[in-house]
Amino acid sequence: MAVAEMIKSIAQAPEKEYYLPGHRTCAGCGPALAYRLIAKAAGKNTIFIGPTGCMYVANTSYACGPWAVPWTHAQITNGGAVGSGIEAAFKMMIKKGKIQDEFPNIIVMAGDGGAIDIGLQAASAMMYRGHDVLFVMYDNESYANTGIQTSPATPYGATTMFTPAGPEIPEAKKFFPKDPMALFCGGGHPEVKYGATASVSYPIDLMNKVRKGLAYEGPAFLHVQCPCPKGWTFPADRTVELGKLAVEVGMWFLYELENGVKKFSYTPKKLKPVEEYLQTQGRFSHLQPEHIAKLQAWVNAKAQNLGLEVPLPPVR
Amino acid sequence: MPIKKRGTGLTAVADAWQLADIDVTASYPIRPYTAVMAEVAKRIANGQMKCEMVHGEGEHAQFSIAHGASMAGARATTGSSGVGVTYAFEVYSPIAGGRCPIQALVGDRTLDPPGDFGSEHTDCLTLRDNGWIYGWAENAQESLDNSLMYFRIGEDPDIMLPQIVAMDGYFVTHIAQEYEMPDQEQVDKFLPPFRPQFRLDVNNPVIMGPQIEPEMGPPLEWDRNVVMDRVKAKIAAVTEEFGKVFGRKYAPFVEEYMTEDADMVFLLQGAHAITCRSAIKYLREAGYKVGMCRLRWFRPFPDMALKQILPKFKVVGVIDTNTSYGASGGGGVLLVETRAAVSELANKPMIQGFTSGLGGETITHEEFFKMAEMMRETLRAGRIIQDSTWVNFNDYVEGASEVKAAQQEVAQTKE
Ligand SMILES: Cc1ncc(C[n+]2csc(CCOP(=O)(O)OP(=O)(O)O)c2C)c(N)n1
Ligand code: SF4
Ligand SMILES: [Mg+2]
Repeated sequence: MAVAEMIKSIAQAPEKEYYLPGHRTCAGCGPALAYRLIAKAAGKNTIFIGPTGCMYVANTSYACGPWAVPWTHAQITNGGAVGSGIEAAFKMMIKKGKIQDEFPNIIVMAGDGGAIDIGLQAASAMMYRGHDVLFVMYDNESYANTGIQTSPATPYGATTMFTPAGPEIPEAKKFFPKDPMALFCGGGHPEVKYGATASVSYPIDLMNKVRKGLAYEGPAFLHVQCPCPKGWTFPADRTVELGKLAVEVGMWFLYELENGVKKFSYTPKKLKPVEEYLQTQGRFSHLQPEHIAKLQAWVNAKAQNLGLEVPLPPVR
Repeated sequence: MPIKKRGTGLTAVADAWQLADIDVTASYPIRPYTAVMAEVAKRIANGQMKCEMVHGEGEHAQFSIAHGASMAGARATTGSSGVGVTYAFEVYSPIAGGRCPIQALVGDRTLDPPGDFGSEHTDCLTLRDNGWIYGWAENAQESLDNSLMYFRIGEDPDIMLPQIVAMDGYFVTHIAQEYEMPDQEQVDKFLPPFRPQFRLDVNNPVIMGPQIEPEMGPPLEWDRNVVMDRVKAKIAAVTEEFGKVFGRKYAPFVEEYMTEDADMVFLLQGAHAITCRSAIKYLREAGYKVGMCRLRWFRPFPDMALKQILPKFKVVGVIDTNTSYGASGGGGVLLVETRAAVSELANKPMIQGFTSGLGGETITHEEFFKMAEMMRETLRAGRIIQDSTWVNFNDYVEGASEVKAAQQEVAQTKE
């Protein structure tokens, strides 16, 4: 394993950008911010694979793209497979001396749909086979590009185009989301030595996790929460604030799983009631006290499962 | 020195891939194509081939892996059969539209239901509108030769298209036969290394497959359309050059057999041509002036060649070893394509369709005889009697039903 060079402060972060202006993501787009930070941390020797989703469609309009490094589209279904093929090709061509390239950082930037729903099979197989690829799931908690539909990452209780609230289904989305870290880094994919959650609201932490994931030989996984003003219905200038609030209420946890060892990257002193977070977003505006209680119980259970030892709000 | 070998269409393509020094191949098991991957795996394990073999988790992944490898600049291959071919459907157009000249081997197989291992062309024919170039080989030698020719054509900077080396399951993929494996020097003379103008290269960053606006799509599609035309000239030139380097001469598009004085011909593709030729010898003895046209390419469809060849005959019997339920004429894909190719010619022949050899059945001599009889009826009547005939199901001539009656008698006496 190469040693990753850590970034200590924003002032120390590289100035050079590899994800540049000139795209048409929404104002305040969390995933776009994630892209910028990830590209910055990874640097010049990087190839991005972009499965279909907002980070394909909104970034590459008019046959242009905002990247200063090579980027290729993949289908929403096959980011992991295309990444595997690219990695295998570089490995073999370098070995045979057909190209003189330094082995590049290969990063798949998949949405939640492209990572844990329609793209799950390809992602899982890539990790199982041990390809030296960083698989990033930029999580805006919905199928956003198609107009905000429910995905396995959409929280319980959120309205989406496919989960409207109504008298028959007052809580809107009924299911609790999948747990991608458990899926990919819970021991089911033995080649994955490094996995982490991150958030656009904690940029230094995010960039360092990118570097760590890349430094590991073999597959690594990064689950990045990226607030989406359009899908979550909140004002575009509150993206970073919401990402922080998510961590303070326990709707997001920041941790790493390195060689099977869990380490929290940041822990609030105590979790705030989840209701404080729900109030900030239109997608939760219909929730009744019993739904909020159900969500609070889920947050508390998750915090306990992860081993977060801080005071938890009561479930009312 | 080229070496004489005994093997199958699959080992022959493994030989071609070895000689072409492929960098990446992506596997997934499905009969009958599987054995090519088993062969490549063996050669990698014993050091004969230097290639990264990625075990895809399905055909969709196989083709996606090869696609990624090709974008990175590697010579990449994969393959499949039957429902495996259709499972990957999403990615065929992106690969061809991305102008990634990967090569796939399809050992064709009946689509479900019901599960049937036998050869049928339907699986591979469903890809016909996706911009891949392909045709059927009739034996191991032609499979090997096609593989080399396809790399050369597909990777040409003026072409850049993915290819499928198609072959009949079992008949070509599994029957052991003699063939010649060329030597490395010959292949190196014929097939230059794959050096795409654009690849994923951090020193020369490119963006591949960006989103476009509606008005930007048609020019790209026009380009894909034009290259399909351009590839025809390339096929002719490369086939000729192949003959010079390797000493095996192929008709570029359509092989004609005993057509000089023929008034009627069978038109088909793939390995059934072998039985067809021997049936023709008997038919000739019985006074039928019949010959055969075998298509060496399906995409691009050899319409220009057929426009020149077919007016020489009075009746063409197109044999479809595929289904296209509800297609114009009630037969298969080749009937539609062949009729369309010559539809505007004043002196076009009468073209009728036969469906035969489905489910992996051999087309027997008897069945060729029946078809010839039905074509002779058409010739006598001077008009198409039945657009398309499923041989043994709705044959329309005495001769054919006589055969049927005779078979029934035989069956009865056996009881
Ligand atoms: C096979 C296939 N099915 C459906 C679509 C339609 N589609 C385009 S973008 C998209 C949403 C992707 O969601 P996600 O992966 O979460 O990324 P996001 O748009 O949220 O950034 C979908 C479903 C597609 N492109 N391909
Ligand atoms: S819908 Fe959400 S993820 Fe998509 S561009 Fe807008 S803010 Fe970004
Ligand atoms: Mg999403």
